[in-house]
Amino acid sequence: MPTITFRQPDGAELRVDAPVGTSVMKSAVGADVPGILAECGGQAMCATCHVYVTDDRALPPVSDEEDEMLDCASAPRTGHSRLSCQLVVDEDMDGLTVLVAGEGP
Amino acid sequence: MTTAPATADITLDALDADPYPVFRRLRAEDPVAWVPAAGRFLVTRHEDVLAVERDQRTFSSVEEGSLMNRAIGPTLLRQDGDAHRRLRAAAEGPVRPRAVKERWLPRFRRNADALVDGLVERGRADLVADFAGPLAAANLGALLGLPAATPADVQSWSQAFIDGCGNYADDPEVWQRCADAVRTVDEAVDDAIPFLREHPDDSVVSSMLHAADPLTDEEIRTNVRIFLGGGVNEPRDAISVAAYGLLTHPDQRVDVLSGRTPWKAVFEEAVRWVAPIGMYPRQVVRDTELAGRRLSAGDRIGVVVSSANRDERVFDDPDAFDVRRPAGPHLAFGGGPHFCLGTWVARASIAGIALPALFGRLPGLELTDPDAVRMAGWVFRGPLALDTTWSS
Ligand code: FES
Repeated sequence: MPTITFRQPDGAELRVDAPVGTSVMKSAVGADVPGILAECGGQAMCATCHVYVTDDRALPPVSDEEDEMLDCASAPRTGHSRLSCQLVVDEDMDGLTVLVAGEGP
Repeated sequence: MTTAPATADITLDALDADPYPVFRRLRAEDPVAWVPAAGRFLVTRHEDVLAVERDQRTFSSVEEGSLMNRAIGPTLLRQDGDAHRRLRAAAEGPVRPRAVKERWLPRFRRNADALVDGLVERGRADLVADFAGPLAAANLGALLGLPAATPADVQSWSQAFIDGCGNYADDPEVWQRCADAVRTVDEAVDDAIPFLREHPDDSVVSSMLHAADPLTDEEIRTNVRIFLGGGVNEPRDAISVAAYGLLTHPDQRVDVLSGRTPWKAVFEEAVRWVAPIGMYPRQVVRDTELAGRRLSAGDRIGVVVSSANRDERVFDDPDAFDVRRPAGPHLAFGGGPHFCLGTWVARASIAGIALPALFGRLPGLELTDPDAVRMAGWVFRGPLALDTTWSS
């Protein structure tokens, strides 16, 4: 099973097993990763699952809904911003590290 | 079932008057407490509320003998899974952030300005009855696509539905008023549908008609009722609590008016402090355990978000209204698949428009008698009235 590492703004890291086909958000919530509140349960409606992905491996493109919701995130949006609920885990994600955005500064 | 003796004393009247001391005790002593007066297990800690919201396969929104279903029919709020998803998807377009910002904000601003224009000269008003309520109703009527409905109609329908959904006393007069409101709303929707079918616009009813998987007329009639039930009290109470909070905390008001603290923080703190919807029901569909309490299929749960929002494990000094507290994970909008559809409408129309209009255009706004302000309710909660004066 792929593993994904969630890094907190303070540098703390948690490595989590992420079943293929579920969302990156679900694997974070299942492991109680702090800062991924995922209020809306993965509907691209709350922006509380915001992460930064700097790894340049291919991720699916940002949809319109994800795009508008990222504009509403409380931490600043950057070119690396994604909603983790919109990222579906596949084998290629094994070893990926994502930075939890949380509430921002 | 073991009943902790302490919870047998909890009365609905006490919860109505001030639920927070009761919830504080339950969080400490009995976080999933059987409360006989409510006929439910009340889930009061933040972490357990989150767990319930994230697991709709164990904690279902479909409740047997639901008063809400009896009052207003099987709306999306009492459905789960694909059935719920379909209804929600059809309604969601107009309330997503971009549509709110681009298409609805100008309208919401006109509504707020018109109300304040009517107030300025008067020098005094009850901010609940004269501003927050009519504004919430005017915005909602427009958003739904029921242009013929007046704000007074919208408010009275909404109240009739809410009273019906909470008619635990089985009062026949309440059922009658609710049934009358259902009939009038159905007529208003039936009047709106033919035009919107031919002339799609940015409204919710239009969105339901023209969705990729469109709703039937009957589904539209039914689900408009839940928008009416949930779309007036909540923004009204959020505006009122925010105004009350600032009016009773002058230092925070100065901070906000000078721009040091954003209006967004005022709104989020208001709904954290006094969640407009304090409790909503769930039903256990398979045996489970929550915070050490064994629950069986069929048990009824009350998800007490107003208590989760004051959980001392998550928020420092949780009973204090403090717009400067760091943004935290309050649960006023619920969570999971039923996450409040009106979230972005409320944020934009209240933090962006209603509160700045109120405090910006009524110079010297103050409460006539801060000690006279009363809040009531534990399922829904907000100030009953906010009598204020300003220099006109
Ligand atoms: S969980 Fe709400 S947007 Fe991702």
